[in-house]
Amino acid sequence: MTEFLQALILGLLIGGVYALLASGLTLIFGVMNVINIAHGAFLILAAFVTWSLWRAIGLDPLLAILLLTPAMFAFGWLLYNATIRPIRKAPPAASVLLTFGVALFLEGIMGVIWGNTSHSVRPSYANDSFNIGELFLPKAQVYGGLVAIVVLASLYLVLTRSWLGRAIRASAVNPQGAELVGVNVASVAALTFAIGVASAGAGGAIASVLYPFLPGSHYQWIARLLGIIVLGGMGSLPGAVIGALCLGVAELMTVTYIGPEWATGVPYAFVFIVLLLRPQGILGTRLRQDVATA
Amino acid sequence: MHKLRWLVLALLTMAALVAGACGDDDDGGGEAGGEAVKIGASLPLTGEFSEPGKAAKQGYEVWEAMVNEKGGLIDGRKVQMVIKDDQSNQNTIVADYNALISRDKVDLLLGTFSSLLNLPASAVAERNRMLYVEPAGGAPELFERDFKFLFFAQQATADKQGEVWANYITELPEAERPKTAAYPTLDDPFAQPTSEGIEEIFSKAGIKTVYRETYTIDNPNLDGIASALKARNPDVVVHGATFEDGVGMVRALRKANFTPKILYQTTAPSLGDQYSKAIGKDTTEGIFYAVSHSKEASTPGNEDFVAKYQEMFGGEEVPEDAADAYATAQVLEAAVKAVGTIDRERQLELADWLRENEVDTILGPLSWDDLGRPEGEFLVGQWQSGVPEIVLPEEAATSDEILPGWRPEGPG
Repeated sequence: MTEFLQALILGLLIGGVYALLASGLTLIFGVMNVINIAHGAFLILAAFVTWSLWRAIGLDPLLAILLLTPAMFAFGWLLYNATIRPIRKAPPAASVLLTFGVALFLEGIMGVIWGNTSHSVRPSYANDSFNIGELFLPKAQVYGGLVAIVVLASLYLVLTRSWLGRAIRASAVNPQGAELVGVNVASVAALTFAIGVASAGAGGAIASVLYPFLPGSHYQWIARLLGIIVLGGMGSLPGAVIGALCLGVAELMTVTYIGPEWATGVPYAFVFIVLLLRPQGILGTRLRQDVATA
Repeated sequence: MHKLRWLVLALLTMAALVAGACGDDDDGGGEAGGEAVKIGASLPLTGEFSEPGKAAKQGYEVWEAMVNEKGGLIDGRKVQMVIKDDQSNQNTIVADYNALISRDKVDLLLGTFSSLLNLPASAVAERNRMLYVEPAGGAPELFERDFKFLFFAQQATADKQGEVWANYITELPEAERPKTAAYPTLDDPFAQPTSEGIEEIFSKAGIKTVYRETYTIDNPNLDGIASALKARNPDVVVHGATFEDGVGMVRALRKANFTPKILYQTTAPSLGDQYSKAIGKDTTEGIFYAVSHSKEASTPGNEDFVAKYQEMFGGEEVPEDAADAYATAQVLEAAVKAVGTIDRERQLELADWLRENEVDTILGPLSWDDLGRPEGEFLVGQWQSGVPEIVLPEEAATSDEILPGWRPEGPG
């Protein structure tokens, strides 16, 4: 029983971090129909910046989030206007190619700056855990999970309670209708993209403590994150959270009860089965935009 | 039309980037001119194996410098290393060795780092009938292909790497001998056979296996494994690791508050400073590992190698992988000097000579069986008071005591 609870706790904690990492990806897809293959590369970029700040001035990765989020927001906004805005009306395949190109470009740049070697950030609490009886909760994962909750809650509040959020949702559901009522869909898209990249900034800072990374690590992240948002229902924020928690728990249960070598395969088999039964994902719905742009 | 333009632009960008990312050549600073003997190797200077790859490059460069200072390799001809970067990629390395042979027209080859990369690279050398001595490729499967040109320049293949240590443990007095063992292992052609070799010896001695699982490098989930280990509570953990996962496992065990009495890891603890910085100096106390080289060893030429290494690259540490690469080049040098040729057509003679003779290297004397497998024994290392010491065999020991087990709280 202890082993089961332990696996469940570790799975939920990791799932929380996955949720943070996937939130930006699903947001960008939901609003803009852009499958942002560069999301993993943004994350690794943030991880490298976190590493540099930690090495240079000993800045704690959790505090680095405060710097990284606005910096990545600005970076995302500029990148959107420079690269994605011109192809906004192109079919989604163009955005896949373009963002893949951006990912490769960033991978190259990171390789030049930080080298193609493995890095990891190890703050003082990296080896410590909170203990509850027999169970242990690794501090880094707990902090990561808490940051994930804060960021996701803020995102949720922005989306549901602010004018910007309403504009984002309106643009997602019916861009033509949103334009009609005075929403500048192009600007909203830029802001959404920037918010998505900013969340990758926070996620990257956390991931840098939990996993070793090198410039090429973005491939494995984007594969996992796409699995999560497909599982949750593409474009749905709560769906991404549920998908992430499911995948985290599925991974840990696999490690514990089937064997660690299956930790990559089994969760994807789970995604596959869910999609067979429910092709739109757990919380996905057929959006009005699918009809409107058809 | 507009869309098509963007598509083409995106594809071109990607193509340019991919082309730009493909390996650079590094001529290693050898003598220019037609006279130099060109020796080619492709090493993982970037990517997953870049730490050992860079160290191996240093080892080859030290050898190049020392051989040239002594007047060259053969007929007064100096050595020029041609080193490529295979990016830790099995496809790139095949292209690299093909290019070294056909485009760069090197006279001789030296091996690369890790079994994973030597597996395809040695096949290229074999097909071209060129001698291939490798510094790190101890997976038994490398030698199951009846190759005639492949030689491994360390003391033993992976399945035998933990032998000396495992025998030491099984010969401990009854009260100190562990009863149960766990074997978490990376899916790697080197780490896995090492841990299986140890398990075989332990099982025969009655040490029960309570956990054996393999994980993959892209999804190690070490916290989950540490939690499973804690639940099974083995006396000894034998961890088949490379660097990052080796560090990750120690950290995961600490997070899980689980301290097995004895901890043995492959590869990671032999990486000196890097390892102790990554897990914390105190945490290293008592961790066992196998190692091929010791800076303090009194093997012939070791002192000169260490001095030259420190002169060229500074620092106190001499990475094991640099020493292995140096020894590999020593083996090649011995064969070339004894047979007196670097002729492409006569490389089988070099290989035959190695099969029949023993070569003195900084790792100690090396000799091989018909399939190129070395026939020696590894050294056993243990971290003591923040320093990696050799504890077995006794004649090579740099410390006169062996700590009974892992004390992650530090010495004292």
